[in-house]
Amino acid sequence: MNMISISIVIINVILALLFSLGAAPILVWIERRVAGFIQDRLGPNRCHIGGIRLGGLIQSFADMLKLVFKEDFQSSSIKQGFLFSLAPVLVFGSAFLTFMVMPFADDLKIGEQVFMMQGLPIDLGILWFLAFAGLSVYGIMLGGWASNNKYSLLGAIRAGAQVISYEAAMGLSLVSILITYGSIHLGDMVAYQGTLLFGFIPAWGIFLQPLAAIIFIVTAFAEANRTPFDIAEGESEIVGGFHTEYSAMRFGLFFVGEYVAMSASSALIVTLFFGGYHLPYLNTGVLKSNMPLVLSFIVIALPLVSYLFAKWIGKNNHWKEEGNIRNRESKILIQGILVINVGIIFLLGIFLREGLGEDGVNIATAVIQIATFAIKLLLMNFVFVWVRWTLPRFRYDQLQDLGWKVLMPLAIANILVTATIVVVMGV
Amino acid sequence: MGIKIIKREGQSFKDRIYLPAIFSGMWVTLKHFLRNLSDTSNIKTLCYPEEQPIDITSRYRGVHLLTKRDDGSVRCVACFMCATACPAECIFIEAKEREDGVDEKMPEIFTIDLLECVFCGGCVEACPCDAIRMDSGIFSFVAQKREDFLLTKDKLLSHESMKGTIC
Repeated sequence: MNMISISIVIINVILALLFSLGAAPILVWIERRVAGFIQDRLGPNRCHIGGIRLGGLIQSFADMLKLVFKEDFQSSSIKQGFLFSLAPVLVFGSAFLTFMVMPFADDLKIGEQVFMMQGLPIDLGILWFLAFAGLSVYGIMLGGWASNNKYSLLGAIRAGAQVISYEAAMGLSLVSILITYGSIHLGDMVAYQGTLLFGFIPAWGIFLQPLAAIIFIVTAFAEANRTPFDIAEGESEIVGGFHTEYSAMRFGLFFVGEYVAMSASSALIVTLFFGGYHLPYLNTGVLKSNMPLVLSFIVIALPLVSYLFAKWIGKNNHWKEEGNIRNRESKILIQGILVINVGIIFLLGIFLREGLGEDGVNIATAVIQIATFAIKLLLMNFVFVWVRWTLPRFRYDQLQDLGWKVLMPLAIANILVTATIVVVMGV
Repeated sequence: MGIKIIKREGQSFKDRIYLPAIFSGMWVTLKHFLRNLSDTSNIKTLCYPEEQPIDITSRYRGVHLLTKRDDGSVRCVACFMCATACPAECIFIEAKEREDGVDEKMPEIFTIDLLECVFCGGCVEACPCDAIRMDSGIFSFVAQKREDFLLTKDKLLSHESMKGTIC
């Protein structure tokens, strides 16, 4: 273990934390603002620190602070105090651990050493995800039962019913994907998706396995307990479902766990079906050999995008009252964007002038791929939010119908077709 | 033979696979999202304390006011019609004799307890002299103490009518 390997491991852990735990406040913010915009209203936009609102992002941190300092109330009717406390930890922990095998970038080669760019350097891939994703429902059922409350128990029962309805279809849809890629390691799958199909389409999972993609995305919504399959929570029917009795940070763990699970599901969807960290037509090899070209493209594109963003800020980010401290924000943000632009372009200019060397090219590739992965992850999370504010909730017998009578036969048929094609083509 | 066969909707293949309907619904919400994101002034939300509502008409029953005569004195003749009509019994009047010859009686004390008032408008209907009105347009009244919600005669006289001067 030398300095480089230690720092790479630390960076990987920090990235995994950022993408899962750090994403939670951002996702809450996205959820509330997108919900507002979809319903033609504003959403939270008042909370500020010294006039800086970041479009309402500060509200998420204020909410977190509130949850931390609230009274952690436990009803005297709860007999199983330990299980009651254990439940949110299980939900949060398992959601958090599922994220650990998502590859953020291709294997990074520095000198002679090769590093896997994921939270934990293990190649269990999909098996790890399925194991921990399946575990999270125990937290929900345990919490619902230990609450000693009929609504919580109903929520827990619904959670159990939901799991048996979607998990079979989910596992079977993954089998056809495993047959296609021939590996359970997510890094191998993403590497496979860097190639071209018929020479002109990126071989992304969504083009190779459209049916499996649809089935998996539908079941991933159920797995993350998101609308239209949030029947375990069912706040319009059974108060709060499994978390009716929870308050303060124990509720906060459930809440954050839901968003981390959503982020992990999005990461897996992106990894399996949308090319993971690959830009279309630019797999790792192409990216490395054309690094100066890519960097010059960033030098040109970054100011353009920043200009459009700054124009959007100037047009839309203002406070109606004159002389309010919040009116300073647009100016500060635009200056910040300018500084970041100048810094990045200066840095890239030095790289372009001096050349990067082999290790430098590898690191730059990893950085670009991490950024690509982050953007794809954010877009997929947006889809989760977007669907939530479009679709109503399924009834839980409808979900069972869907899972057992529609999705599972389709998944089995998909396995047969995939296996036949793989055997006949001999690939 | 009197049997009416109703065609069930949603039985076609396109309806049964859900996805086309889901995508069209998502397209609708995306259009709203993009329209509001590209220009937030499309959102009609009123940012309340900074922006006040402008659609309050003179028929809106806000906080009460006592109207004045042309010479600026109180129009009320302390006839107790409003206090009698009030279902919440929130109007307290004490009459006194009017010395300046304009009329015979005027209120010494005219107090409305806003915490009791149900804003039914009964007092306005009952008043024979158009002396009490509710068209001040004041919809928000806050105070620190219960006593501050008692509107005295001076306070009621100071509220302006949205219709402007009384004929």
